[in-house]
Amino acid sequence: MRSLRVWLTILLCGVLWISVSSCFNASPAYISTSKTRNIHLVVKMNKGDYWNTLKLGAEAAAKEFNVNLTFKAPDSESDIEEQIVMVEESIKEKADVIILAASSYMGLAQVVDQAAYSRIPVISVDAEVGSARVRSYVGSNGYEAGQKSAERLIELLKGYGEIGILNFTNSSPDQGPGSTGSIDYGARDADEREKGFLNYAARYPNVKVVQISYTSSSTSEAESLTREMLEEHPGLRGIATLNEIASQGAAKVIQSAGKGYLKMIAFDSSPSMMESLQDGTVQATVIQNPFSNGYLAVKYAVEALEGMDIPERVDTGTKLIDLENMLWPENQKLLFPFVR
Amino acid sequence: MNKPKEPVFPLRPPSPKRGKLRIPSKLRSIQLIITLTFTAVTVAVAVIVSIMLYGKFAKTAEENANLNMQQIIEQVNYNLELYVKGMGSIFATAEKQITSSPSIDSPLLNERMDTLMSSREDLVSVAVFTPQGQYVVGTPGQNLRLNTGLESQSWFTTAKRTSEISYSAPHIQNLFRGRYTWVVSISKLIQYQENGELRTGVLLLDFNFRTIDQLSKQVKLGKRGYAYILDPLGNIVYHPQQQLIYAGLKYENVEPVLEYAYRSYLDESTGEKRFITVRTLAQTGWKIVGVAYYDEIVTTKRDLNQFLAWFLGVVLVCVIAVSVFLSWLIASPIRKLERTVKQVAEGDLNTPINVSGAYEVEQLSKRFNMMLQRIRQLMDQIIYEQETKRKGELEVLQSQINPHFLYNTLNSVIRLAERGKTGEVVTMIQSLSRFFRISLSKGKNIITIQEELDHIRHYLVIQSFRFKNKFRYEITAQEEVLQCQTIKLILQPIVENALYHGIEMLPDEGLISITAELQDGLVIIRVSDNGLGMSKETMNVILSGGVKSTSGSGVGVRNVHERIGLYYGREYGLSFQSEIEEGTVVTLIFPARPAGEGMEEQKEEMNP
Repeated sequence: MRSLRVWLTILLCGVLWISVSSCFNASPAYISTSKTRNIHLVVKMNKGDYWNTLKLGAEAAAKEFNVNLTFKAPDSESDIEEQIVMVEESIKEKADVIILAASSYMGLAQVVDQAAYSRIPVISVDAEVGSARVRSYVGSNGYEAGQKSAERLIELLKGYGEIGILNFTNSSPDQGPGSTGSIDYGARDADEREKGFLNYAARYPNVKVVQISYTSSSTSEAESLTREMLEEHPGLRGIATLNEIASQGAAKVIQSAGKGYLKMIAFDSSPSMMESLQDGTVQATVIQNPFSNGYLAVKYAVEALEGMDIPERVDTGTKLIDLENMLWPENQKLLFPFVR
Repeated sequence: MNKPKEPVFPLRPPSPKRGKLRIPSKLRSIQLIITLTFTAVTVAVAVIVSIMLYGKFAKTAEENANLNMQQIIEQVNYNLELYVKGMGSIFATAEKQITSSPSIDSPLLNERMDTLMSSREDLVSVAVFTPQGQYVVGTPGQNLRLNTGLESQSWFTTAKRTSEISYSAPHIQNLFRGRYTWVVSISKLIQYQENGELRTGVLLLDFNFRTIDQLSKQVKLGKRGYAYILDPLGNIVYHPQQQLIYAGLKYENVEPVLEYAYRSYLDESTGEKRFITVRTLAQTGWKIVGVAYYDEIVTTKRDLNQFLAWFLGVVLVCVIAVSVFLSWLIASPIRKLERTVKQVAEGDLNTPINVSGAYEVEQLSKRFNMMLQRIRQLMDQIIYEQETKRKGELEVLQSQINPHFLYNTLNSVIRLAERGKTGEVVTMIQSLSRFFRISLSKGKNIITIQEELDHIRHYLVIQSFRFKNKFRYEITAQEEVLQCQTIKLILQPIVENALYHGIEMLPDEGLISITAELQDGLVIIRVSDNGLGMSKETMNVILSGGVKSTSGSGVGVRNVHERIGLYYGREYGLSFQSEIEEGTVVTLIFPARPAGEGMEEQKEEMNP
């Protein structure tokens, strides 16, 4: 009887306490920023406006969610080995999350599995990686981007003519300098864009893709590749470049060679590309959303750490920008990061 | 314990529902009632006070926070106003220089423009265009890009439309080679001279966001709060997360803000409570909007919350502890008392009740103890009295045939016979025979005073032979008293005492006088002698049994006293008056009862 009374009293206290405290406290709906998280961002290359903008986005998110962001990138987009080493280091340093823009779809697969084995979530940004253990992919649809590029180029060429493509990091083992050693798989995004472009171009029998060149990650190499292409195919009417470096190199060659008749569709929105667009060297450019990519990757990384459900795939979209729409206010906001 | 309790109101018809809801008796214990009541009252008071305090403090905190925020935004507004004024005056200076210059392409003007540009870090470019969009003049070293599309840009169209100075929304400056910069443009239609001709043109001044940034960045509205600036059309001029908004990753609900020029309100459109304060810049129509998170600016409120929750918890625990203790303090002695009383009720009269606690309980226990003591005392007394009675009766029985007395008397008879005093022998034997007859009196305990007086007379006759007429005696009695009852053998021990202790040692002749009278319904018998008397000490102890006569019949004076006390009541008995060398008077007092009353029961009692 006595113990029953004691239990009754304790129960009463508990109920009262809960009811009182529940009246006063409601948990905030935003992500807790009280603890610092270590997130490692490993991208393809440590230079180029594209990666800078992506980094800006990641940093904005890092600031917002109290993240200690470690940014790592090899000097060259084709340096797969270096990138693998960097991910391995991040695993060793016990990063909370690794965000990876893989230079090689298959090349990075093993190390991503390794990270997952160490219970480090991996989020891929921009370029996918061949591992089932990736929590989420944040980036644009490369295939769609390639199609957009092809669509506009063919329209500009009025549906006929020879086309050259300047892509990056080779996907086939025997071609180009992008392949290194035993790993012979290219970056997923490059692959997808090329596929998108070719599939679209295949609908037009009069359109011939006469050459596909692969640049690693230097503008000068892109320039020489473009020159070679122009020499080899004097009848070339259009060029499509599938990343920032390639676009810059090709634009430079076209401008300096005075080949104004050549139609060119570029990729990404570096300021120099905007200049080329404005002075008419380049007719259009397919832009992605690097700032959003960086920001969302970090945001989802934090949410994953918080145990929230994150989408498996986030498409940040692509857009075709030409001279006409580049100054539309909404495009200005996309093209030119608001840097302070 | 298990038998069903009587209903509290037995006359009320018991409804079955009531019966079910009746509180079990265990729950009606004093301790539980006190605990619950005390706790409930205290908690209720604490909660009410807390809620009132909370409301009061929270309101004040909210008002303060709101006021504080308004002041901050006001400050930003003021600073921006100054800045915009500064921009306006720079524009005015540039305009003046251009208008007053004799020719637009004069080197002096060029130089001045250059100075102007280098004097301000936030000035991006200065240029003059013709109304057709042709570049006229600008700061040196600027190369116009192709395909600028400036004719359709807002700063150009607005300047052409009005003659007022106009401020553009933030946009990318794409006119000159170099960088693409986010700027705010100020433009106006002005007059300038070229080749001696007066022409109109559009003067453009581009400012970057450096200063606006600096002015707005300082704004701290709590941890997450911020301020942003809108132009009259709802374009964001400044926002701490401008790029996120531009990229479509964040969204700012500007519609309600645009409707008001000066306002403070609580916004819940994002699902979170936010304080919004709007102020409008006079010259540009820009709106400065302060956003503070409700739960943050009223951190005091949450602190208070937490404090109150803790406070209530602690109070609750304390109150329960105190009330449990207090009720235990009150209830436990009562419960102890109850247990003890139960023991007593079960028959253990020797249970000591030593309950300490509240005054009332202590008193109750004390009184109960006293009652118990009295019961015990009475019971002891009854036992004692019964014992004494039996002892007395036994003694009386013994004294009825006292062998020593008989032996002495017979010795005296023998001596008289030897001397041939036949008459005296006859008297003696007669007296002895009567003495014994009355002594036995057929086993009766109650006799008349007449018989008792006869008895003592015979005794005295016998003793006077033995003491060789050493004393005289006289017995006087009122006529009425003779038929009254008395317990037997009450005079003989007293007389014997007087003979052996008072008269035997007396050199002179002794006198024993016995008187019996009726007074106010009381029988008073006095036995007086003129013997040695006794001291006060002897008198004091004689009735308490301190002195036991070594000789004599053995039926002590005390025995007489006790028998009277037992039979008639404690207030009756013997009393002594004595003077040394003068004599002693023993007075026996007991109520008068006519003969034949209560004889029957007496008889029965005598023969158990």
